[in-house]
Amino acid sequence: MKLPSFLRFVGPSVGLMVALMAVPLAMTFYLSLRQCALEMETVTVTQSGPFGQQEVTTQRTKTTADGVPISQCSFVGLQHYKRVLGLDRAGADDALAPATTEATTSAPVGVGASKPANEFFSALRFTLSYIAATTPFVVGIGLLLALGAQQLSTAWRAIFITAALLPFIVTPVVAALSIKWLFRDNGLIPYLFSHFGVQVFWMAEAWSAQLLIVLYGVWHSVPFAFIVLFAGLQSVPQDSLEAATIDGASRMQRFRYVTLPHIMPLVIFILLIHVMDAYRVFEPIIVLTQGTFTTSVQYLTYYILLQESNPYKASAASVLTIAGVAVLLIPLLLKTYREQRGLN
Amino acid sequence: MRSMSTAVFMGVCLSVFAQSVHAKCGDIVGKGDINIIGNSFPALQYISKELESCNRAGLKVAVKMTPEARVETERAFGSTGPSPFSAAVVSMGTFTNLNARGQLQPMTDLVNKYRTKYKIEDSMLVRVNGEVMAIAFMQNAQNLFYRKDIFEKHGIKAPTTYPEMLIAASQIKAKERSIDFPIAQPFGKGFDSATEFVNLLSGHGGRMFKLGSAEPDFNGDAGVKAIETMRAMLPFMTPNALASNSDDVMNQFQQGKAAMGVLWASRAERMDDAAASKVVGKIDFAAAPKASASGKIAAHLWWDGVVMPRNLGQDRDIVFQVLMEGLDEETTRAANNTAIWIRSTYKPTRFGAGVAASIKAGAPVWPSEPFFSLAHGELGKILPDALSGKLSPKAALDVAAAAYRSAARDQGFLKK
Repeated sequence: MKLPSFLRFVGPSVGLMVALMAVPLAMTFYLSLRQCALEMETVTVTQSGPFGQQEVTTQRTKTTADGVPISQCSFVGLQHYKRVLGLDRAGADDALAPATTEATTSAPVGVGASKPANEFFSALRFTLSYIAATTPFVVGIGLLLALGAQQLSTAWRAIFITAALLPFIVTPVVAALSIKWLFRDNGLIPYLFSHFGVQVFWMAEAWSAQLLIVLYGVWHSVPFAFIVLFAGLQSVPQDSLEAATIDGASRMQRFRYVTLPHIMPLVIFILLIHVMDAYRVFEPIIVLTQGTFTTSVQYLTYYILLQESNPYKASAASVLTIAGVAVLLIPLLLKTYREQRGLN
Repeated sequence: MRSMSTAVFMGVCLSVFAQSVHAKCGDIVGKGDINIIGNSFPALQYISKELESCNRAGLKVAVKMTPEARVETERAFGSTGPSPFSAAVVSMGTFTNLNARGQLQPMTDLVNKYRTKYKIEDSMLVRVNGEVMAIAFMQNAQNLFYRKDIFEKHGIKAPTTYPEMLIAASQIKAKERSIDFPIAQPFGKGFDSATEFVNLLSGHGGRMFKLGSAEPDFNGDAGVKAIETMRAMLPFMTPNALASNSDDVMNQFQQGKAAMGVLWASRAERMDDAAASKVVGKIDFAAAPKASASGKIAAHLWWDGVVMPRNLGQDRDIVFQVLMEGLDEETTRAANNTAIWIRSTYKPTRFGAGVAASIKAGAPVWPSEPFFSLAHGELGKILPDALSGKLSPKAALDVAAAAYRSAARDQGFLKK
């Protein structure tokens, strides 16, 4: 294809990707290097409302003569990255030194208990564990379901596919809520367990809360793997399978030497998509445990934005998240690149 | 003839219905595309229907209810261009932040202009140095929910202090077979546990900040006592407590699995919702307990109200009128039980008894410093570690104080 024709084909989608992905990403990176703060002044104001009147000494933004709040912005380099990663010396000193005069007379931080782990690395550890725990099940169960669906008659197959796709169709927050309602106090699962004298509190310990999130991840992602692999199985060349049968190959051998190589590019595709999705795990964490015992990198960005109200630091966490997913995808992307190159 | 009279009757009914639908905002002159944002709770769900009934040709009203309302409101009201939201329903914590940043529009002139038309009452006006900056419509507070039937059955008095609450919990755990975990309270990570902490800190005589400054003061003895009180409650709560929010706690009460706990008054009416509750009429409400026998009540008073942004890109007169249409006397009367309304037309019900008792017991107003939410956020992040024993109370509070200092420096509240 000639270059102008090629550009006309890919131009619109590349333009959209630049506008909707590259530009916001560049802006996020730019924000992560800056810090803006409003200029505050201490004032005493008289406030009144439904609960009466009181004089309050508080802080208020300095404003221009037109009433516009005055803010100061500065370039802070990698400061936000260092803080998110726990490498910031000043922040570390703050955390280690008692913050108030009263605190100097009491026990120092860490006495009688361990020091809190850096939240980014805790979040990263759980996110990577989540990917490692869910990926084999997503591909394995998806493949089993696809092979199972292929054995069914057309009528049953339609019902099976519809049922299997349901978890994928449901909005993630709604799906996570459904799982929560099943497993929380007085939920169906604890109720059924109680009939056998077993009491499990799923959100009481780190292992059970994390297991629940992994179960949700598998349940919600398997249908995608299933439908892609099922489509792939339909295109396995029948003549190759027949030839293998004539050559005396067993069912297992036919699967291993004919079917599996044929659908392997799809497996790589599923891995690619699932790793990206799993790295952004968010909904089950906020819905199932509200972050107790579990923090993912995506949830961390959300928390910084929501609770610390610092979009600049949240931008740094966001850029680190994107960098993380890029690192994770490198092997898979390289493999795909080599395959495509080989095809050409 | 009969069919004709039926048709006439139907026509009259339809026209009356149509008039009643369009009665709202009928005399507002002008056009507008009004977007309002707020958190989702029963009273606002009703108000939003009222507001959206203002929709007519040229006047479009939409209400967005989202758990992220605070962040979205702060972003919108702080943007350099016109705010995408014409108004917001906020609690007093958000109001304080917005007001401190100079992002709110004074409404004094509009209140004076429409005071008679909408019967705006003085108690609804939130003034800062004399200027009306918000119109409050409901109050809220945490108060004690308890199973009257179980307490009476075992001859136990409703607790007035947290130590009494622990004794009552141990008695109920020993005597009442239907209740495994007598106390239910929202201790989840983030907002819930931090709010419990702030209540107990104040109850133990502590302060969040040093007087007249943004320096943290919550990591002293009172803060440690507050966490110790929370820890002492855990053996009487479900092991899932550290991941429980207000919805989970409400569910425990409704399912008859909890005997007592401090919960938002706005959840009270749901206890008698026969479609969801097994304990209709069995829950009673009292003032939130004091932190200790010599301490103060461990609860705060809140209000919810409406505000308009300084960067409003629309006709402020129309926006104000639409808001007032949604908050008129008719709304209070029609949705009387969904909230503790501020308007004098509100008829107090038993669901508001706990708040009234908390006010009588001297519950203070929720802290209003603009840097408060930063400290609250940092506390919410670390408290589960202190409650689960991963960190000592003092260590956790020092970590939260350090993180708060860092965040407060970023925002310009602390200089060093």
